[in-house]
Amino acid sequence: MTEFLVFLPSGVKIGAIYALVALGLVLTYKTSGIFNFAHGGVAAVSAYLFYELHIRQGWHWAPAFLVSLIIVGVFGGLLMERLAALLSSAPTVMVVVATVGLLVFLQSLMTAIYGPANIFLKSYLPTSTLFTLGKFRVTTEDLAVTGFSLGAAIGLYLFFERTRIGKSTTAVVDDPNLLSLQATNPSMVRRLSWIIGSSFAAISGMFLAPLLGVSVNTLILLVIAAYGAAALGRFENLLLTVIGAMIIGVMVAYLPIQFAKLSTNVLVQNLPGNTPFLLLFLVFLVAPTRLLTERGVSNARRLRPIRTYSRPVTYGGFALLGAALLLVPAVVPNAEMTQYASTLGYFIVFASLGMLVWMSGQISLCQMAFAAVGAATAGHMLAYGLSWPLALVVAGAVAIPVGALVSIPAIRFGGIYVAIATFGFAIVMQQVGYYTPILFGQDQRIDVPRPVIFGIHFTQVVPFYYLSLAVAVLAAAVVLAVRASRLGGLLRAMSDSPTALAAHGAKTTLIKVVVFCISASLAALGGVVISGVPQNASGALTGPFSVTVSLVMVAVLGFAGRRPIASPLLAAVLFQLIRIYPPFDSALFLKYEGVIFGALAMFVAVYPSLDIRGAIARLGSAGGRDQDTAGGPVRARLESRPVKPVVIRTAPAAPQAELVGSGKGASQ
Amino acid sequence: MSVDLDVKDVTVRFGGIVAVNEASVYAKGARITGLIGPNGAGKTTFFNACTGRNRPESGTVHLGEDRLDGHGTANRAHRGLGRTFQRMELFESLSVAENVRAGPTAYFSSFRLLGPLYARAKESKEIERRAGEAMERCGIGHLARKTVVDLSTGQRRLVELARAIATPFKFLLLDEPASGLDAAETHNFGRVLTDHVAESGVGILLVEHDMSLVSEICERIYVLDFGRIIYEGTTKDAMNSELVRSAYLGEAIVA
Repeated sequence: MTEFLVFLPSGVKIGAIYALVALGLVLTYKTSGIFNFAHGGVAAVSAYLFYELHIRQGWHWAPAFLVSLIIVGVFGGLLMERLAALLSSAPTVMVVVATVGLLVFLQSLMTAIYGPANIFLKSYLPTSTLFTLGKFRVTTEDLAVTGFSLGAAIGLYLFFERTRIGKSTTAVVDDPNLLSLQATNPSMVRRLSWIIGSSFAAISGMFLAPLLGVSVNTLILLVIAAYGAAALGRFENLLLTVIGAMIIGVMVAYLPIQFAKLSTNVLVQNLPGNTPFLLLFLVFLVAPTRLLTERGVSNARRLRPIRTYSRPVTYGGFALLGAALLLVPAVVPNAEMTQYASTLGYFIVFASLGMLVWMSGQISLCQMAFAAVGAATAGHMLAYGLSWPLALVVAGAVAIPVGALVSIPAIRFGGIYVAIATFGFAIVMQQVGYYTPILFGQDQRIDVPRPVIFGIHFTQVVPFYYLSLAVAVLAAAVVLAVRASRLGGLLRAMSDSPTALAAHGAKTTLIKVVVFCISASLAALGGVVISGVPQNASGALTGPFSVTVSLVMVAVLGFAGRRPIASPLLAAVLFQLIRIYPPFDSALFLKYEGVIFGALAMFVAVYPSLDIRGAIARLGSAGGRDQDTAGGPVRARLESRPVKPVVIRTAPAAPQAELVGSGKGASQ
Repeated sequence: MSVDLDVKDVTVRFGGIVAVNEASVYAKGARITGLIGPNGAGKTTFFNACTGRNRPESGTVHLGEDRLDGHGTANRAHRGLGRTFQRMELFESLSVAENVRAGPTAYFSSFRLLGPLYARAKESKEIERRAGEAMERCGIGHLARKTVVDLSTGQRRLVELARAIATPFKFLLLDEPASGLDAAETHNFGRVLTDHVAESGVGILLVEHDMSLVSEICERIYVLDFGRIIYEGTTKDAMNSELVRSAYLGEAIVA
């Protein structure tokens, strides 16, 4: 108990910082309906900027802090608000593609400038002991950080629960028609909430820098703590979010010390750090459906269906593609063939992701974690002496229950919660899962040797390319079969109107789980092929199965189109193959690859709202900017849809006979 | 074969507002029953309560002997309660024929665990037959290959109806199915409904503003106003009722 009390102040301090992160996340989600996956990236940018000004440029910490806050919090917040406005009518998957694109953009940019290593930063706030209370030792830093965070939390709570404008802001997210009827202008409040949200992220990034070091990867992973807190507040309740963050903070500060005493195993030591994720999952498991509603989906535009080609064109295209892929070893030097084989592996994962995203409207941010499950399973099976084809089948099969486990708790709440759950899963796999003996073990490495089947030595690169091609064709066949099957038909219908589908008896949750599991299974096959290239697999942060890779893949798929086979192939080529050919093999491109991918993903996601043709037409006509474009997409949709007159009745519970008469008077 | 829909004392509240207040409707199978009332009276909310789209505070819903309240939307549809929507819910990227087939496909997919994955040969045949008949009945057979976004409102209404009657529902809730139709289309629509009811024994509860259609095809009428059933009786009596007329007079001024 005494030991617990010693850790209490630092636990409360960490909890207060988590509360800041989580509050910013919940606040912006509440007011704009956009769940910002780049929130941790914003925190990281401010930490780097602070480091740049305070350490590299030698500024005093106070102006450095303030300037970082203004640049990242205020200007960043305003930019984020514009992005959110452009995404306000986008389908959930495109919102995720855009914010993940932004995360990839920021992460890659920071890594390109400052390198991937963790930068140590000394405490800049005074750490002198302010007072001691029995066992407590409270420093100025503790008090400043905790006091500021708690004060901000209480202020926000009062604003949203007690003021009229605060209450009205959250109402408009789910009904743009209300927006036009509002007496107060909620866009001002939305802008303010993005500024506050980004500022809180910026401040937490700078508060955390001395505790954890300045590292984009650490700060991005850390945001999962905020997800846990946000989940406890049902992604809506600010007060519960703060309480949740405090609980998580204390657990994260106290438990690792206790767990470290138990064992030196990395697995055991890393586990308590992941309590937020476990809490997140717990909430998904036990919360009733009505408590977690997806915000802003009722106004989402649907994706335009992709153009279909006639059968001869489709089959002719596939035949040409097949022939080209068969001929690759004839024209490509052997040294480059490994890159082609791994491109096929990534194609399989992209195809699995594309099927999930474009056919079912769900998004997975942990696709490479499923691939890792496949690679590790195959490695173990081969070690047990199973043949390679059998190991492949087992790898695909094992991923099915894993997929079900990840998706079932979140799927019933809607698309954005699946994205959140899969992001959490990817992080917990990276930090804990990969260390388990059933995956890569403590050494973080497992052999996945290439096979010899029927006397053919697939250990050599060209035969292995053909083996990879066979698996890729199998995966493509599965994707096409799903598309053509009843499941594909139901998925297409579901992406148009889940409401109508459920009204005819279809179990939409079951359908989503089934397609998620098929996707996970295909990704596992991809993992086996990918690990077959170097003949081993590892869960390292820089390896193919890291969280970052899953995120970058979502960004790349986001701009590679929505075709079932051609788009994943294009995505795989962009992601894996072009880097061996000029000009993409230049150091500069490789350094900024993620920046470009992230930016492209964002652009494609917001493109439908940009009205570029209209802008060009306006440029041509005289008068310039005569239209107020603020809140453009929402307004455009309001104009295109007749707004029903809202009948407000004042006395619903009064006696009937009078109501019939008075109803018309009150109606206007 | 035909079953009755028995909804008792349903109350739906949104925050402090009572949208539907202890409303009871008994609609017989193989008959068309009207549910009318001014805008905002709670008709769609009442339908949503029947199909499980919202959570009523109290009340029961029985389809024949089968108690439906407590089940989700899909489960109620699986047990035989179908509906159409005031704001049409079509599968916009699909063709007319695919839309109509999607109804029975969704329905049959709910009977087996692997139902969503593949169709049995017998099911496929049954789906084809039902979809073909429904399109024929609704007179949209010639549009089968068209995408529904390219259709007129009247044709779209017919597609939604065809999808509902192609599905082996026992009872249908139709939410303003004739809004946006001209007089001739509306008359035709009424005939489709009466023929379907007579042949299949399916009961219909119809929300409709077009009083000529209602008086033509409905045997009994319930009038909903401010969330309460204020009148129940034969269509003929309802047309002569002062209460009903004043409720609609109010509606005319509001609109």
